[in-house]
Amino acid sequence: MPTPQLISALVETSINGVLALDAKSHERLKGLSGKRLWVHVRELPWPLTFCFSQRIDVLVDSDIEALSETPLPADCCLSLSLTTLPLLQDSSQITKLIKQDKLELMGDIHVAQGFSQLLSELNIDLEEKLSSLVGDVGARLTFQRLGAVKTAVTKKAHYIKTIIRDGAIEEKHIVASPIAIAHFCDEVNMLRSDVERLEAKLSLLEHQVNPSTDD
Amino acid sequence: MSDNPQHSDQTHFGFKQVDKNNKASMVADVFHSVAAKYDVMNDLMSMGIHRVWKRFTIDCSGARQGHKVLDLAGGTGDLTAKFSRIVGDKGQVILADINDSMLKVGRDKLRDRGVVGNVEYVQANAEALPFEDNTFDIITIAFGLRNVTDKDKALASMYRVLKPGGRLLVLEFSKPTNDMLSKAYDMYSFHVLPKMGQLVANDGGSYQYLAESIRMHPDQDTLKSMMETVGFEQVTYHNLTGGIVALHRGFKF
Ligand SMILES: C[S@@+](CC[C@H](N)C(=O)[O-])C[C@H]1O[C@@H](n2cnc3c(N)ncnc32)[C@H](O)[C@@H]1O
Repeated sequence: MPTPQLISALVETSINGVLALDAKSHERLKGLSGKRLWVHVRELPWPLTFCFSQRIDVLVDSDIEALSETPLPADCCLSLSLTTLPLLQDSSQITKLIKQDKLELMGDIHVAQGFSQLLSELNIDLEEKLSSLVGDVGARLTFQRLGAVKTAVTKKAHYIKTIIRDGAIEEKHIVASPIAIAHFCDEVNMLRSDVERLEAKLSLLEHQVNPSTDD
Repeated sequence: MSDNPQHSDQTHFGFKQVDKNNKASMVADVFHSVAAKYDVMNDLMSMGIHRVWKRFTIDCSGARQGHKVLDLAGGTGDLTAKFSRIVGDKGQVILADINDSMLKVGRDKLRDRGVVGNVEYVQANAEALPFEDNTFDIITIAFGLRNVTDKDKALASMYRVLKPGGRLLVLEFSKPTNDMLSKAYDMYSFHVLPKMGQLVANDGGSYQYLAESIRMHPDQDTLKSMMETVGFEQVTYHNLTGGIVALHRGFKF
C-alpha cells in the first residue's frame, strides 16, 4: 500500500473535514481558488502539494528538487522543518527564518499566508453543529453538562496538585517548602556578606604586615 | 499474452470464449447491471483501497492547471472529480465511457458534488476514440482496459490522441508478485467476491465476470511491451498492494 498516498488522504480528509465545520471558511478559501502550494516538510521524504478550489486536494510529489526547477511546480513553494512550521504564524519572523536557513521560500508568499490564515481563523461553533444533530435543547444540555464536567475536572486536578505538593513537602520531605527555601536563600546571603567582610579584614591585615606590597 | 489472437474471431469474456463482435455488448450488460451499485461495491470489494490506488495514479499524472485530461472508461468519475479541481477553469477533463448507464451515474454524482464547468461527458469506445490527434496532456484508464475487446487497438487509439510530451496511465488489476498473496487473492475473488456481489447488488454473475476478467488480463511485463509496441516510450510500471494492481505509465514524445 503506498504510504505517502495514505498520509495525503488522511491530511486531505482532516483539513476538509475541519473546514466544513466553519461555514465562513468557504469564503476565505475562494481567495485561494486555483492556487497551488508546495510544501516540503524536511522530516518527510516527499513533498505535499495543496491544490485549492472549492475544497483542498492534497497531492504527493515525488520530486524533492522542485525548488530549483523552472517553472516552479506551484504558485508558492516552501521547504522547512516541522519545528519551523508554527513560527510561520508570525509573518515578521519570515525574513529571519530565511536568513537562518530554516525556511526556503519561492514564489508568492501570499498563498502560504492565505492558507495559514484559513486555518488559524477557523471558527467552529460546536454547539451549533451539535444542535443540528440532536436539536437545540439537547445541544444546550450537552454543553452545560460538558461545562460542569470541565469545572469539576479542573477543581479535582487542582486538589490533586495540592495534595501531591503538600505530601512531597510535609510528609515525605522530598521537596522543601517555600518558607524553607526563602530561609535558605537568606542564610546564603548572610554567609556571602560574612565572607566578603572576612576577605576585607584579611587584605587589611596583609597590608599592615607587609606594607611594601602596596602598589 | 495477447488478448485477441490474430487469426481468431473468438475472444475471452471472463473465462468463456465468445465471438469478438459480442464481447462489447456482453461487457455493456455487466456494467449496465452494476452501474447503480458500482461505487458501494467498489468500496466494499477493495475495502476502500481503490481510493489509494487512484490517488497514486493522480500523483503520477503530473496534472497541472490548464491541462486537458481524458479519463477513459471513467465510469462513475472518481478520477474526473479530482482532475477537474486540479486542472481548474483553464483546463478540461473529458469523462469517456462506452456505457451510458455508467456515464449517467457518473454525471449525476459529479454534479451533486459541484464538479461542473470544466467536465465534458462523452460516450466512446476506447478502440476508436472520437478525438483529434494530439489532443490530451494526460490520459488515464482505470480498471477499464481489461474489459476492452481489442486492447492493442485501444492503446494505439490512446497514443494517437495524446499530445507529444503527454502521458498515459493505465491502472489495472495485475499479477500478485507473491505466491501466498496470489492464493489468498484467488480465494477472495472467486469465492467471496461473487457472493458479496450477489448479496449487495443481487448480481453474482457480473462479479464472477469481473473476477475472471482480472485473471485473463495481461500481466505487468506483457502490458508494458504492448504499450511499447504501439509507440509509448519510457514505459514503467509500479506494483501496488503486492501486484494485485499495477500502474503502467508511458509517454508519447
Ligand atoms: C470497472 S469500471 C471502472 C470505472 C472507473 N474508471 C473507476 O476506476 O472506478 C470499467 C469501465 O470501463 C468501461 N468500458 C468497458 N469497455 C469499454 C470500452 N471499450 N471503451 C470505453 N469504456 C469501456 C465500462 O463501461 C466501465 O464503466
